[in-house]
Amino acid sequence: MTVKAMNPAASGPKKGPRRLNRFLLEALAVLLVLLVLSPFVIVFFNASKTYDQITLSPAAPPTDLGNLWENITAVFNDPVTDLLGAFIDSALITAVSLVVIIFFSSMAAWVLVRNRSRFSRFAFVLFVAAMVIPFQVVMYPLVYFLKGIGDTLGFRMLGTVHGITFAYLGFGCSLSIFIFHGFIKGIPLALEESATIDGYSQPGIFFKVVLPLLTPTVMTVAILNGIWIWNDYLLPLLVVGGSEVQTIPLAVTTFAGA
Amino acid sequence: MKRSKAWDAVFLGPSLLALTLVVILPFFQGIIYSLTNWNGVRTDVTFVGFANYREMFQSVDFLYSFLITLLYTAINVVLVNVVAFLLALLVTSQVKGRNLYRAAFFVPNLIGGIVLGYTWQFMFNVFFTSVTAQLGLGATSMITSRDTVILGMSIVNTWQYAGYIMLIFVAGIQSTPVEVMEAATVDGAGYFRRVTRVLIPMIANAFTVSLFLTIVNSFKMFDLNVALTNGGPSARFMGQVVNSSQLLTLTIYNKSITTKELAKGQAMSVVLFIVLVVFSLIQVTLGKRREVEA
Amino acid sequence: MATPLNPLPERVKTDKADENGPAGVRLPPSAETTNRQGGKHAQTAVPHPGRPVHPGPGRRPRFAEIELTLYNNKVEISEALQNFAKLYSDKTEGVTVKVESVGGGADYSGNLTAKHTADQLPDLFVIEGDGDYGLWKDYVTDLSGEKWNEETTLAYKDPEGKVVGFPVAIEGFGLGYNVELLKKAGVDPAELTTYSKLEEAFKKIDGMKAELGIDSVLSMAASVSGGTWWVAGHHNFSVYLGGGLEFTDTSVADKFNKGEVEEERLNDYAKYVKLLFDYSDQTVLATGTYDNQLAAFANQKAVFIHQGNWIDPSLKAMNVAFEYDYISHPFNDKQEFKGLYLFAPSFYVINNKISPEKAQAAKDFLSFLVYSEEGADYMVNQAGMVPAFKNVTLQPSGGFSKALVRANAAGGNYGVYFGKLPAGTGQSKLAPIFDVFAQDHSDEGVTFLVADLTKLAQELAAQQ
Repeated sequence: MTVKAMNPAASGPKKGPRRLNRFLLEALAVLLVLLVLSPFVIVFFNASKTYDQITLSPAAPPTDLGNLWENITAVFNDPVTDLLGAFIDSALITAVSLVVIIFFSSMAAWVLVRNRSRFSRFAFVLFVAAMVIPFQVVMYPLVYFLKGIGDTLGFRMLGTVHGITFAYLGFGCSLSIFIFHGFIKGIPLALEESATIDGYSQPGIFFKVVLPLLTPTVMTVAILNGIWIWNDYLLPLLVVGGSEVQTIPLAVTTFAGA
Repeated sequence: MKRSKAWDAVFLGPSLLALTLVVILPFFQGIIYSLTNWNGVRTDVTFVGFANYREMFQSVDFLYSFLITLLYTAINVVLVNVVAFLLALLVTSQVKGRNLYRAAFFVPNLIGGIVLGYTWQFMFNVFFTSVTAQLGLGATSMITSRDTVILGMSIVNTWQYAGYIMLIFVAGIQSTPVEVMEAATVDGAGYFRRVTRVLIPMIANAFTVSLFLTIVNSFKMFDLNVALTNGGPSARFMGQVVNSSQLLTLTIYNKSITTKELAKGQAMSVVLFIVLVVFSLIQVTLGKRREVEA
Repeated sequence: MATPLNPLPERVKTDKADENGPAGVRLPPSAETTNRQGGKHAQTAVPHPGRPVHPGPGRRPRFAEIELTLYNNKVEISEALQNFAKLYSDKTEGVTVKVESVGGGADYSGNLTAKHTADQLPDLFVIEGDGDYGLWKDYVTDLSGEKWNEETTLAYKDPEGKVVGFPVAIEGFGLGYNVELLKKAGVDPAELTTYSKLEEAFKKIDGMKAELGIDSVLSMAASVSGGTWWVAGHHNFSVYLGGGLEFTDTSVADKFNKGEVEEERLNDYAKYVKLLFDYSDQTVLATGTYDNQLAAFANQKAVFIHQGNWIDPSLKAMNVAFEYDYISHPFNDKQEFKGLYLFAPSFYVINNKISPEKAQAAKDFLSFLVYSEEGADYMVNQAGMVPAFKNVTLQPSGGFSKALVRANAAGGNYGVYFGKLPAGTGQSKLAPIFDVFAQDHSDEGVTFLVADLTKLAQELAAQQ
């Protein structure tokens, strides 16, 4: 998906000053990109240095790229923190949660758009309002809730992948439903009506007609949720913190300061 | 066309169930906790009414944390939106390689809060200071002086978040009709005029969304706070020592977990919620009024 | 809950209560059950090596062996502890010890609470004093009957005198110094027993900075953002709480909790902290991390360092070759200060909600630490700790640890009592107070320091 070649405001005189403007603009853009990406370069430098090199000459480029391999292996082989395991867990949790969120949010959004009852309008408002609730307000009660579910139903939620996935569905569905809702509104009802006439069942209409049309939205929702889940720190700290399941942000804190 | 209520229930059910169990019910539960003296572990819990709230409003560190969060939000919202908007203009202009630039500006958003914080702590404390020291400009780091620490945090957050907001503006800019812009050019409006008088009002909807997101994001800032400054450096406020960059969420976390005064922490988060709702409502309402129908 | 894999066995009457259930009715000892959350323990009365246990949700099947979890809070020893645990597991049939450690800046207490909430409180975990004990007192096991009690006086006792905590190590500190540099500066460490003499020495060394090749006299850190608040907030503050008093005299600490401060003592102490801060590297002081502080001393850029003997392994890793030792903290001129500050900061406790077999395995593990050669080797050589048990005669190799062993034998040391403050006080209240002082340690700053500490005492009293 490319950016359309027009900033409507950027039309102007065709030659002379415009060419200079263009050049300056390009230069500015390149400069900004370098600036923005410089922390990554620094991190790469640091990863390729030994400890005393970092403290004594932080701004200098690395002298021996062999250090990079040494540092990487040291981190992965660290006896205390299982970074590889955390990596796998992070990947697993993110992937499963994404599938769950996209699947159930799109379904729910579709119902909310097409079903015009009072209940459905109330449910939509509920989903949107829930977006404002900061995580901190619910984090502790949530942990005890999940524990309670485990106690009463015998189905352990805390410290498990399915438990944290359920939590992510709860937190992620609001925004996702909001986004899907907007897009589904743009799909003509006539399309679904003709599908009914053609004999599709209700779930069939959704999965075979509506969902394929939502592909770009699915991508957006996947990216938005994926980034947040992968990098999330506070929820995993409380729900799986200290258990066998670990995510990368949690594992990273065991390195810092040591 | 008759809808099957059963299917609707099946489709809507899981999300609604998850939302209720994970967000709604714990929220109300949290309100109840805030009226007790629970500390997270003890078993003898008593109901104390609004005592926690009263104590909170009288405590200097809560007050300070609240004010500093407001300040941070104000600075951050302005910085992020301005930078994001300018980047969006750049990326939708005629420069070659705009797709590359767009991706490059978005990449920082992929870095999570904790890693971000530690990386930038190094940048501020070690890298920048050694550069400025070599240039003879002294060696104080931005995040260890109480006067600049909030700005420092905002810079890091902007670095991470502007790319994301930029995309929202880009989507808005790309959906404005070309004709209106061309008409403005024909009418003799210069670039600056075109942007401020025509473009911005036309993408007012994007601004509403971005303002909402940046306000909420700033208020709820936690990961970066912990990793970058951990609340430090300390400072004096109203005769008491406080942690000068300790935003509300970190204060809540410390109250709940470090000193194990869970109920008080809960009371604070309820207040945080109410403030956030009020802000969002005001902002979205005002925003909606200014939006222009295309 | 009955499942196809795990049919409910019939219930049996018994009159003893243990973790299998309350007295009255419980499951027969031969039943293999996992608790309702699919928890870790296989509750068999007699371990049957070779009999498979039904796997809980999401875990691998194991033979009926015991897996003990130990949650370690000292990042410096994590590797050594991990290796020792493996050694023990290989050596002991049917028992595996799994060690989990927390990173240097992370919140052990917070993580422990999270584990507890998730019903995953480890079998062996660490408490650090009265504050922690207050939180976890319903979860500790009575260890009074253990044999190793004969070898130590530092075990943690509950208010009724029952032993509940196994002292992990003796730790301690004084004011560390580089022997060679001090000699070069012409200062005799044996003389530095009062405030005035120390001040003199500091001034002298400060004037010789270029000659000695140092950046500052002392390497001290008190930064909240650098994660070194505990150096000042816990250890240095202990100078006020216990310096110059009898080893077991907790009167100052107790009074502090009740809102009282000894004014003269506090003023002397504040002046002493100012002395330390004045002669420190200011950057390390206000913003330094643990690594920064150690590096300054290790690279011989500072003559003194304010740290404990736990940095011995780190100094070794930094290839420190010079000799180093401790002097005391002479914070006033009213007496001669020769003692060091000794304490057992952490105690292993055994979770009392686990099965009797696991509890016994845990107790065996602790005994092994004390009585075996491998245990002694681990504690002294690998982890660089000073064991709290007199039967262990192995001498530590690190300079600071050696100093502590000497001091312990000589007597006249002081107790370390920051653990008597309510949980979290150090991190949330003392930390900013010292951080602020680190930024402004002028005479005005001293007044503030005294006022802040006095106010803190009153706050603590109000909370009781």
